[in-house]
Amino acid sequence: MATLDPALAPDTPAGDLHLLERTWSAPRGLGGWFMHVNHRRIGRRYIATGLALFLLAGLEALAIRTQLAVPENDFLGPEAYRQVFTMHGATMMFLFAVPIMEGIGIYLVPLMIGARDMALPRLNAFGYWMYLIGAVTLYAAFFLGVAPNSGWFNYPPLSRREHELTIGIDVWWVVVSMLEVAALVGAVGLIVTIFKMRAPGMSLNRMPIFVWSILVMAFMIVFAMPTLMTTSIFLGLDRMVGAHYFDPAGMGDPLLWQHIFWYFGHPEVYIMFVPGLGMVSMVVATMSRRPVYGYTAVVLSLIATGILSFGLWVHHMYATGLPRLGTSLFTAASMLVTLPTSVQFFCWTATFWGGRPRFTTALHFVLGFLVIFLIGGITGVQLGSVPFDLQVHDTFFVVAHFHYVLLGGVVFPLFAGIYYWWPKVTGRLLSERLGKLNFWLMFLGVHLAFWPQHHLGFMGMPRRVYTYLAEMGWGTLNLLSTVGAFTVAAGVGVFLVNAAVSLRRGAPAGDDPWAAESLEWSTSSPPPPYNFRLVPTVRSRTPLWDPDRAEQPVVVGLRDDQREALSTTLLDARPDHRVVLPGPTIIPFVAALAAATPFVGVLFGLHWVPIGAALTFLAFTAWNWPHHLGTRLEPEGGPEHRLAAAERAREEAEKARGEEVRR
Amino acid sequence: MSARMVLDVSEYPSLVQGPRGGLWWGMAGLVLVEVVLFTTLIATYYYLKFLNPHWPPAGEPLPKLLLPTVNTAILVGSSFAIYYADTSISERGDKRGMTVGLVLSLLLGLTFLVLKGVEYAQVEYFWDSHAYGSIVWTMIVFHSSHVLSVVLKTVVVLALAAKGHWTRERCQGIKVNGLYWHFVVVIWIPLYLTIYWTPRIHG
Amino acid sequence: MPRAPATAAPLRRRAAACALLPALLGGCVGTGVQDVLAPTGPQAARIADWFWISYALAVAVFVAFAAILAYGLLRARRRERRGEPAELPPSHGRGLVIWGGIVVPTAILLTLLVLSAYTDRRISRLGRGPGEHPVTIQVVGHQFWWEVRYRDPANPHREFTTANELRVPVGRPVRLVLSARDVIHSFWVPNLHGKMDLIPGRTNDLVLQVDEPGVYRGQCAEFCGTQHAKMAMLVEALPPAEFAAWWERQLRPHPTPVDSALARGHDVFMQNGCGLCHSIRGTEAHGSVAPDLSYFGERRTIAAGTLPNTRGHLGGWISDPQAIKPGNRMPAVPLEGDDLRALLSYLHSLR
Repeated sequence: MATLDPALAPDTPAGDLHLLERTWSAPRGLGGWFMHVNHRRIGRRYIATGLALFLLAGLEALAIRTQLAVPENDFLGPEAYRQVFTMHGATMMFLFAVPIMEGIGIYLVPLMIGARDMALPRLNAFGYWMYLIGAVTLYAAFFLGVAPNSGWFNYPPLSRREHELTIGIDVWWVVVSMLEVAALVGAVGLIVTIFKMRAPGMSLNRMPIFVWSILVMAFMIVFAMPTLMTTSIFLGLDRMVGAHYFDPAGMGDPLLWQHIFWYFGHPEVYIMFVPGLGMVSMVVATMSRRPVYGYTAVVLSLIATGILSFGLWVHHMYATGLPRLGTSLFTAASMLVTLPTSVQFFCWTATFWGGRPRFTTALHFVLGFLVIFLIGGITGVQLGSVPFDLQVHDTFFVVAHFHYVLLGGVVFPLFAGIYYWWPKVTGRLLSERLGKLNFWLMFLGVHLAFWPQHHLGFMGMPRRVYTYLAEMGWGTLNLLSTVGAFTVAAGVGVFLVNAAVSLRRGAPAGDDPWAAESLEWSTSSPPPPYNFRLVPTVRSRTPLWDPDRAEQPVVVGLRDDQREALSTTLLDARPDHRVVLPGPTIIPFVAALAAATPFVGVLFGLHWVPIGAALTFLAFTAWNWPHHLGTRLEPEGGPEHRLAAAERAREEAEKARGEEVRR
Repeated sequence: MSARMVLDVSEYPSLVQGPRGGLWWGMAGLVLVEVVLFTTLIATYYYLKFLNPHWPPAGEPLPKLLLPTVNTAILVGSSFAIYYADTSISERGDKRGMTVGLVLSLLLGLTFLVLKGVEYAQVEYFWDSHAYGSIVWTMIVFHSSHVLSVVLKTVVVLALAAKGHWTRERCQGIKVNGLYWHFVVVIWIPLYLTIYWTPRIHG
Repeated sequence: MPRAPATAAPLRRRAAACALLPALLGGCVGTGVQDVLAPTGPQAARIADWFWISYALAVAVFVAFAAILAYGLLRARRRERRGEPAELPPSHGRGLVIWGGIVVPTAILLTLLVLSAYTDRRISRLGRGPGEHPVTIQVVGHQFWWEVRYRDPANPHREFTTANELRVPVGRPVRLVLSARDVIHSFWVPNLHGKMDLIPGRTNDLVLQVDEPGVYRGQCAEFCGTQHAKMAMLVEALPPAEFAAWWERQLRPHPTPVDSALARGHDVFMQNGCGLCHSIRGTEAHGSVAPDLSYFGERRTIAAGTLPNTRGHLGGWISDPQAIKPGNRMPAVPLEGDDLRALLSYLHSLR
């Protein structure tokens, strides 16, 4: 129904840049800081908060490794060790990996799909505030000495009240529930944005692979996280009002927790990993200077990974005595899930093979990912076998396995992505020399830290032990592992130096330092508040590599005096309607405070639940009250604005063409 | 060629209804999340049921059927009322029909809540009696709080109607509220079958 | 610490491990008292066999992928240096993805899957055939120790309870019936078999068999609280005749000692309330929430494998158990020096 209206640029109304700038710019001042809704602001906050928590969890890892470096060490006592290893796991899983991947998606997806903002900007801001409140609550408990202490998995009956009175366990389920709310609204926002806000012409089969990976991640969050929330609330009910979900004496069952937890927990790993795959595909294409080989195969692999990951949870429960036939099926499923990843491995290899690879730091991290993740994937296949798993389950072999998988599959792609997109976000380049030092320290550190742990598993060292006897013979390997952990930390330290130096006096990056293919590189670095001066249209999967890029149509007619964006159809991205997006508002922050009240309040008394629910209802009523939308129905803006803007549109087109020629 | 083609969208609409709009998809996402939540509850119910030889536990009577069945019919009726409100405004621009539909659905929703209260004031087990009590009470309280929240939301929608906010063009709020209402009704059906029929069919 | 007797077969296997595993670890360090790859039971041996096959395939997969990747990168770089176009013939790419990404991995995975299912069948059949009557031992997990009950279905009078140390006959299947008193624990003796959880409200069983006499160490493998790290157990395999004699010995109750020093120890035990938690067969100590102490003098370790069972360690443990194993359930028992010495003598006389 929507066709491109051909017209010549000089006659085209294209808007007023100053007005556009003012419309989209962020509010100033401390009060303004709580009012941001723009996706790049929110995305940056997610990423910065996620990295800060990554550093905290890293410090906790160093504390764990210091305690285990020598036998019968007393660096941490048994109770402190419980809290620290629980915080390390919970922080890495709930507070670092998922939020930072969502944050990167929130930052990049609108830029990659040629949108001016997310579809639901206030919801997006609300999600961030929920995340922050959850993180602050958890760390407040930690610094008060009452952190959760029964593992990030928090198995009952140990976590039931008769065994652990500590409020730390209640903090665990409350914070986890808040973080699930945050992750879920973030995921819904990403799904709606990807469905409805793509630039005209960017049909689903032209979306950048990273956007696909974010879409798959978001759907996985929607299908996985509510189950954890439910079971967390079951645990809360058991602890607070005497319910019997996990109490065998009251018709309940401790294994119910494990089923639901791992139904969530296994996809959780892939939720963190799938966006990493997406980043790897982007970096591989750009650094090889050719499109990723086998776009369709890669996208189908991402989707298959997402679906299959829901059928694996029992392989965390082989030692619980479930029927043998059932567990064998899960062995088959565990092996099947490696196929989509192996397809992607060879698609990337084919891309290198037929490309002209540039060995930048980002590509180093990608190659590091391939090596580390391959090892983690292989041990993963081994762990899928019931008999072998019975031996190494809950030992350091498993610790080694999932650190290979998560450092290889999440942290290395993340660093590849950081080195790749840093210039776009900050406008400055990172040092490649420091970057390579960073890479080698982390790469060697990972092997030094985690390779010995495979052997420790074979030597019978269980997980989650705060100490061990010298006679066990585990001392040497543990010491090596500790040295490796500090080597990884040194690599992260080099990154921090690199980042600080770049922010102060890094070389200006320009719009497109890597000669990349996707739309985020067509705007300035950092992008302007409105992302795109003229919303682009798309004809291929690699729009910036189209030879006729400069002649391709741009979108005009979006109003400059309010936050207007173009919504397109779901499959083909045909232009459909203009949406007026909300501007800066305090409402999401207030709503997050209100919505956090029942969660945090329940730690102090059950009466806070109805009070908090009422506050939440009031906040969301204010949210939905049309007054705050600022919608105006009558068009404004005089013809003189349009003419001036049309001039600039022509200049822009010529500039873009000039660059094309230079390339 | 120094000029470039443009796609002028200034004439495109800015008010759309139903699945064309982002808000509708946002609500659909929330509904999907809630479906997973309720599915987890139902799965837990069956897990516990098949774990225990006596379900309901020995000494607890089978759940009574008459009141909840009538109540289910009332709740289903409310869905028709909300549908009537929706089509009145979005297809015919009929504000009176919309108001009638909204008020009717509110009354039916409130009736459902009152009857639920009457029903569970009579049962003799609680959430801390046994796991059967835990899951049944959780399902009932969780679903009833959804009914309550959608009733309260509809009060807000009605308040906006009184201010003349809704028009034939601007009725996405009605549609989105309706979507959530339908969800709350539809998800009750499997809960109803689970809680009231399962122990009878498979004791 | 007791050590598994190093027999020829595990040594050979370990030598193979040293040859195969990367040399960066500086030689072989895998000689602890717990060792998955030094099996002394049929199940652990079969699992180790599966591991070695999967390990060989893993090395092959890793080397092959690394070689293909390196070749692709080097080829691309060489072509770029020579100024040749960097295209990939479509058939090459498709071949890589289909053969490398799908066909070969599927074949390897199927091999491993079939071998895994085969291994699983064999290890789960031990001692479960018709007419087989394995020795049955009930193990109950407690925070943070193991209650061990020897069962005789034919004659309940031949049953007895002990703690933290199991004795089993060599070469005969032993069926462990596993349950838990408080939280989830997991029974694991790496040289013998994989682990199995002890779950409150459920009963699991694990059949294992020890092929060579010796003492094998294991420890709890499911996080069970503050002292999860110090919840170990020993399994001692005895020749069947010795095992039968040991069982007979365990059935004898302890008479009240006549020796005056031991009698004083006995009185100290009873007067300080030890018997409320512990029990000693033949006395009025009938507690059931702490380890049974009949035949305590035979134990190699105290506090579930935490310390060797010497007079000094035991004295320290009784005086201040929370210093040695903070968070365990045993209260400190303040005793005068003479009383403590008498108590130690009495406990060590229980054999």
